[in-house]
Parts: sequence; C-alpha cells; structure tokens
Amino acid sequence: MPVVELAGVSKAYENKVAVSDLSLSIEAGQMFGLLGPNGAGKTSSIRMMMGITIPDAGSIRLFEKPFERQSLERVGYLPEERGLYKKMKVLDQLVFFGCLHGLSAEEARKRATAWAKRMEIAETLDKKTQELSKGMQQKIQFISTLLHDPGLIVMDEPFSGLDPVNAVLVEQTLLELKSQGKAIVFSTHRMDQVEKLCDSICLIDKGQAVLSGNLREIKSRYERNRVIVEFEGSSAFLNSGEVAETKNYSGHAEIKLKPRGDAQKLLHEAAAAATIYRFELVEPSLEEIFIQTVGGKADA
Amino acid sequence: MRNVLLIAKREYLEQIRGRAFKFSTVLLPLLIVAMLGANYFTGRDAGAVKHLAIAADSAPLAEAIRRQLLDDKDAKFTVEAVAPATRQDRDALVKLVQSKAIDGLLALETSANGAATATYTSQSSGDFMTAERLKYALNRGLLQERLTAGGLKPAQADALMKQVTIETLQVNKQGKEAKSDGLASFYKAVAMLLLITMPILLYGMDMARSIVEEKNSRIFEVMLAVARPDDLLAGKLIGVGGVGITQIAIWVAAAALLAGPALGANLLSGNFSLHFSWTEGLLFPLYFLLGFFLYSAFFSGLAATCETAQELQMYMPLAAVPVWLSCGLLPVILGNPNSAWAIAASLFPPTAAFVMIPRMGLEMPPLWQFGASIGLMVLSIWGVLWFSSRLYRVGILMYGKRATLPELLRWLRYS
Repeated sequence: MPVVELAGVSKAYENKVAVSDLSLSIEAGQMFGLLGPNGAGKTSSIRMMMGITIPDAGSIRLFEKPFERQSLERVGYLPEERGLYKKMKVLDQLVFFGCLHGLSAEEARKRATAWAKRMEIAETLDKKTQELSKGMQQKIQFISTLLHDPGLIVMDEPFSGLDPVNAVLVEQTLLELKSQGKAIVFSTHRMDQVEKLCDSICLIDKGQAVLSGNLREIKSRYERNRVIVEFEGSSAFLNSGEVAETKNYSGHAEIKLKPRGDAQKLLHEAAAAATIYRFELVEPSLEEIFIQTVGGKADA
Repeated sequence: MRNVLLIAKREYLEQIRGRAFKFSTVLLPLLIVAMLGANYFTGRDAGAVKHLAIAADSAPLAEAIRRQLLDDKDAKFTVEAVAPATRQDRDALVKLVQSKAIDGLLALETSANGAATATYTSQSSGDFMTAERLKYALNRGLLQERLTAGGLKPAQADALMKQVTIETLQVNKQGKEAKSDGLASFYKAVAMLLLITMPILLYGMDMARSIVEEKNSRIFEVMLAVARPDDLLAGKLIGVGGVGITQIAIWVAAAALLAGPALGANLLSGNFSLHFSWTEGLLFPLYFLLGFFLYSAFFSGLAATCETAQELQMYMPLAAVPVWLSCGLLPVILGNPNSAWAIAASLFPPTAAFVMIPRMGLEMPPLWQFGASIGLMVLSIWGVLWFSSRLYRVGILMYGKRATLPELLRWLRYS
C-alpha cells in the first residue's frame, strides 16, 4: 500500500525550476532515501509532500487519498532547518507539538515522558530548550516528530548534528519504526547511512529523478569491479597493471579495476607484497554511483 | 480552529510568564503617573520664586501691581517696586537683570494723556507664563489706579474688581449634571491616550519582533507542516492581543483596588471632579483590540519580509506617525472634542483608537461616530490582514536576504 505517491510533480520559483516531473511511491514498512547534491530539489520535494508549498503541476497522494491537510496529522516531519521555541520548557514544547498533531495534552505528556526516557534525555524535560546542546535539541526535535505515532515519517538530514553514539540511537529507532510498518523517507548526504538503512532510493539532480528504485537492484546493475583490501606491509601491488584507480588509507585500500582487469592476478600480487587480512570484490559504493550519476559535480 | 487556539494559548502563556510582561505591567502605569505628575508639578511651579522689580512713574500704580502679583496664589513672586523711577534707576535695574541679581524688570511709563506703555526685561525669552501673569497684574493694577483716580475709595475699587470663580459642570445624556474639573479632564484625556497608545505599540512591535525571531530560529518550517500560515498568524494575534487585554484588566483592577475607596470618598464629597462611565470601560478594551489588530497585522506582514531585528527597526517609525498625529491633535480635541478635525481623526482607522479614547474622556461622542469608526477599523483590519497574510505566507520561508519591493509585489501575486 503506497503511503505517499508523487506523480509528475513540478515546482518552479520565478525563473528557477526546483522540481521537474518527479514521480515516486513509498510503501508502508519501507525506508526510502531521497538523495541529490545541494540545490537538487530534495527539500522542495519534501516541502510539497508536506503541503508547505503547492506543486505547479502533478499530484500528491497521502495514505491513498489526494493530499489534504487533515492527513498531515498522520505525518511526522523533521525539517532540515531545525526549529524549536527556545524559551519554552522541553516538556511543554513536546506537549504543544503533540496537541497540534491531534493528541490530548495528557496523552502527549505521557508519550513525551516515555520517549524522553527512550532517547536518554529525561533529565532535560524541565529545562528550557535554549539551555540545551545542539545534539540534545536535535533529539527533542526527533521526539516531536514521532510523538503522535505517525504512519509516514519524513526527515530531512536526520543525522546532522548528532555524535556517533546518538546517530546509532536514531538509526536503531528508525529501524524499529520501520519494522512496525511505518513508511520512512529521509534525505541525506551520508551515503553510508543510506546503504545501511534504505530499501529504496531516488537520486535527484537539477530537479529531476536521475536514478530510482530498490537499492539492491540498482547496485546489482553495476559490475563487481571494486576491490577492498586490508593489508599490512608493502603497498606496491597498488601499482599493478590491473588497477585503474586506488584510494589508500594506510592499511585499507579501495581499488577500481581496469576494464577486464583480473582480480585473481591482483590477489597474487598483493599476497606476494603484503600480509592480506581482507580481499573483497564488491559492487561500486553508493557514493561512487552518486558521483558517477550526477557527473562528478556532487559535493557529498 | 483547534490549532489557532493552541497557538494562541502558547503565545499567551509564554508572554504572560515572561519577565517583559511583569515589568511592563508594573512599570508602564508608574511611568505614565510619573510623566503626568512631573508635568503637573513643573506646570504648577513654573514661574515660582521669581524675584521681580517694577519701575514706574506712579507709586500707587507700582504698589497696586505689586499687590496683584503677591496675591497670585499659583506663583511665588518677591516683588520690589521702585517709583517714581528715574532713567538711572531703570538702567541700574536692567544691570541687575543682566547680573541675574533679579529675574526680571517690569518698566512702566505713563504719558501725559494717561496712556501707559510697559516693557518686561528678563534673560529668558521663553518665560511666557510670567509674562502672562505680569500682563494680568498690570491691567488689574491700572484698572484699580484709574478707578481710584476717578474718585472711588480703594476698598470700593477692590469690591468692584472682586473675581468670581466658575464652577464647571458636565451634563450627561440623561441630563444629569455633575461637577467637572477642566484640569482633571485634561489629565484624564492624556492618561487615556497614553494608556491606549503604549500597549498597542508595545504589543504590536513585540509581535513583529517575535516573528523575526521565529523566522531566524526556523520554527516556521516545523509549524507549517501542522498549521496553515493564516492559522499561525491568527493564533499569534489572538494570543498577544489576549496578553494586552490581560494587562489592561490588571491595571483597571489595581486602580480600582488602590484608588477606589479614596476616589469614591473624594467623588462623594465633591473634592475630585472626574467621571468614568461603563461605556468608557467597555469601549477602551474594544478600541485597544481594534488598534492592536490593525497595527499588529500590518507589522506582522512587514516582519515576515525582514531577516533581522535591525531591519525591522527601520519600519518602526511608521508606527509612530499616527501616534504623533493624534498627540498633535490633542490640543484641538481638548479645545473642541466635536471639531471637524477631531471627528475626522476618530474615523480615520490608523488614528481612530488614539483619538476616540481621549475624546470619550472629555465628552461622549454620538453613537454614529462610534459605529462608523469601529466599522471602518474592522474593514481596515480585514484589508491589512489580507495584505499581510500574503506577505507572511511567503516571507516566513524566505531566508538569506531582505526582500525587494518587486519581490514583495510578486509574493502578493503568488500567494
């Protein structure tokens, strides 16, 4: 069942086309990555999904119905530009957002307290938002997005500003929500997180979808001509005639083979020069696909 | 509507709990009382303890003027009469004025046919109050001298010139008369003008400032995902307007509690002649709300186009223009509350609240004028809201630079 569907959606601001003929569909229980370089049209697409701006052409359906504001009560939205009322106490703030999404004050208070414990910020509930660190505020915003138990969760750069420990906490929470059947859309520049979390992606460039579909299927379209090697000793094998490009991170190398390059021959050369701990033939990473698809202009 | 009320409640509670509300609730009335008190006391004491000299040809005339000046209860003069005064006496007295040994010299010369000319020499050219008092004393002195010169005894002249005080009465619509005091009415009108002006401007600017702050904190993006821009604006207006009404209610209640018994006793004994009516009590908050909505709606639209509080500050003098106009009209209103200017300003929406309120304090305007001014204000609020909500819808999501006029016009067209 598609939770959100965009069909031929376009949006232009004055002379600039932000989104052009974009179509995508996101199912319940799916984690969907919206990717693209800066200014590609990701935030514009999300804003239209949330009814903040209206498309010039095309249609948007939420929960199998044409877009209506009432449906937004079932959506949780974490925008790229975070915003909280600085002088409000954390609990009051969460209750306020919960009530705006249709919860009673009592229910919102109960859920806010439970979520604060889960996200390890229970001690901040009585504090004013302005007294908290950026990471804490990020977690409060994350809770306010989920408080009303939305069926669709839309997050623009959800991991920005989080340290690795909290990023893992957010990742685990998202995976848990996915397993509960929530549809999750997020835009990010962190390709490693997309590879780890997303089932499907849509790569947007200059307002147009240039690559979309199931992540595994997309990656399988590419030849397995990448080698990851972990080694100790001489790196002379990186100059082999089989190698087209290398990234050498002292003991960890990512190698792109020449067309028809022989991986077995390279393995022998490597074993002769160094002690090999890992030698893995892989598909190109999402980051490589991203850069290749948007013509090397991406700044991700 | 639920979201509008939730947003209004949040705005209301945040402001009511804030320090600014507590300070302004206490300080604003104190400031107004201090301003009016300072005005009253400086006015009463103007020209006080002045050391004057009178130089005249006629000693009885100089003495008559001296007595008149000393009898003036509102001013404290010490007066020295030099009569008959020679040219040298006058020159010596002018030198005393120059050296500030005395504050002023009133020199009188009487011609052979009895016509008198007078000059007043002082170091201050702007002391018109002393000049007015001298003119009054001089003319009464001359009159007394002429009456005694005509054969009347001084006591008879005094009896003829005895002053009569006028008791002012104010008649209401029911024909009931009550004691009234012009000075008290003046202070009441000024106090009411200040009491309505300051909260309207204060809360209007506060609303604009909070929009710029929220735009900078990027809260709008979150809010727009759950509420329409119009709901956000309406919620803010209702919430902040409610804070203003609460503040006015606190002032009225505090005034009734603190001054009520004392004021009541004075009114009963007729010592203090000031009238307040229920109509004023009802119309004051109504005009506050109308004025607040008009100004706040206007400034909300402008605030949405600004990036910083400094940019917003540039527009603030605009708010002051109708207030200056209204203050400038105050003497006209006090002189004739039903003059064409006073009526026009009470119907013109930007000045209506600021003019109608002091007018009410002086003389209750006819019902049609209230109806017309309220109707025109409601129409203006609707128009300004239409304009502002369009700027607001687009402006709150525009970051990075101040909008130019052509951009603003495009925003109005798009939204």
